[in-house]
Amino acid sequence: MIEKIVDPEKMRHFPPKGGKIELYWVYTSGRAGEEFFRKLREGKFIAAKCKKCGHRYFPPRIYCEFDFSETEFYEITGEGCVEAFTVATLDLNEEPMEEVIAMIKLDNTDGKIIHVIKDAKEVCIGMKVRPVLRRPEEMKGNISDIAYYKPV
Amino acid sequence: MPAIVGVGYSGFNANTPDLSWKEIMYEAAVRAYEDAGIDPRKDVDSFITCAEDFYEGFAIFDEFVPDQLGAVLKPTCTVCADFLYGLATAYMQIESGLAEIAVVEAHSKASDIKTFGEVIRHAMDPIWLKGVTNAHPYYLAALEMSYYMNKYCITQEAIAEVVVKNKRNALLNDSAPYGAKLTVEYALKSPFVFYPMRKIEIAERADGAIVFVVASDEMARKITDSPVWIKGVGWWSETSNYDIMSFEARYAYKSAKMAYRMAGIENPSKEIDIAEIDDRFAFKEIQHIVALQLAGKYDVCDLMSEGYFARNGSLPVNVSGGNLGVGNLLEATGGQKALEIVIQLRGEAGRRQVDCEIGVAQAWRYIPTASGAVAVFGV
Repeated sequence: MIEKIVDPEKMRHFPPKGGKIELYWVYTSGRAGEEFFRKLREGKFIAAKCKKCGHRYFPPRIYCEFDFSETEFYEITGEGCVEAFTVATLDLNEEPMEEVIAMIKLDNTDGKIIHVIKDAKEVCIGMKVRPVLRRPEEMKGNISDIAYYKPV
Repeated sequence: MPAIVGVGYSGFNANTPDLSWKEIMYEAAVRAYEDAGIDPRKDVDSFITCAEDFYEGFAIFDEFVPDQLGAVLKPTCTVCADFLYGLATAYMQIESGLAEIAVVEAHSKASDIKTFGEVIRHAMDPIWLKGVTNAHPYYLAALEMSYYMNKYCITQEAIAEVVVKNKRNALLNDSAPYGAKLTVEYALKSPFVFYPMRKIEIAERADGAIVFVVASDEMARKITDSPVWIKGVGWWSETSNYDIMSFEARYAYKSAKMAYRMAGIENPSKEIDIAEIDDRFAFKEIQHIVALQLAGKYDVCDLMSEGYFARNGSLPVNVSGGNLGVGNLLEATGGQKALEIVIQLRGEAGRRQVDCEIGVAQAWRYIPTASGAVAVFGV
């Protein structure tokens, strides 16, 4: 016997009363986040470089986590190489879905982005990919403003 | 040095429809106090619980603690982390003289959580990661697995061996709900739910609670003839940002280093007799074996296939069945690992007893973290 019932509701004729937490937040994206999403609307990508050690951060941020000093923003293409990928077949509620998700090393940075890959017949590690952006009027100022990545 | 003088646990089960989360804590506590021969209302100086509000389903968890542990009108605190962090906290309270006897508790009522995927997703960076996909957060572990397998040529077969070994070990553990006798061929037929990760490589959730009674050196010698000494503790975090995370469990390497240094262990692969390590995804066992310096990164697959880490092997790993056999116990994961080491060191493990004097327990803070803790025990 390998599969067991994990959900107690499935063991009862009258399911116990559940509870739900309905809470909402505004997540402040901060100086680096605001700058990034504003530039993204113009079709541009930015990263951040540490003024002291030169580490090139993506996602951009205003401080360096290694030597705790300030960074400066600079422009990048947003293109990169697939460093790892997975084919997800279960959604948040463990219902079927299919999506390729990749960890992409971005060109001219020491950083990465995790995002969805579409329009690819085959995905492999080392594959060159580029971002596809939403139309500026559809952008919301969050990570889904990058619609997906696709092969170059 | 402080010692474990009493252990108690409740579970572990795929489901606990008869008891509330408070009642499983109570059951484990009663057993631990009986084991130690103490009265919590008189003898305990400090109570430490380990919990994460989102797993509980309500806020300010520490306010809900005292009654079920016998801790009303006593010093209590909650550590928002795994059991092993709580054990380190008890160690510090005792060594600093704040307490002579401290109690550590962690539990999982995972079966109460209806939207586990959502809970884990709320742990992801809300700006840069959370909104990327609606896939179950298991995908993040699969990305790490993809990266790690590719970098160190880890084979599918070696990962299947982890599943087979741990589920088989669990058959000798009456408290492990996910034991099974499988073959590597069977494991390799399990579907890819998050390629390259198969369904069978993901630990199912389980319920349970663990309570330890920890005493100072002097007090331990007074109240028991069989103390299990806490020789070393360590904890370490990488970063919360996925672009800087190592994806090779540096948190485990560094926390083990910290604990080994305290314990005076110079050559872990020779000096450690038994290890219980986090295997909530099968590849994590291989990664953590390397991080804990129990094997080299290019030898680990061969050693796994040769049975080096089997119950009767040279360095048994996850004799209890690990998380693949016992289940994912959320913040109680490190507690179950420490419990197995204590039972083994006491010689009370029955049919799965291993000959051992030094054991190590390790837990990771699960996806999406790069944090974890380690404890070294000895007799």
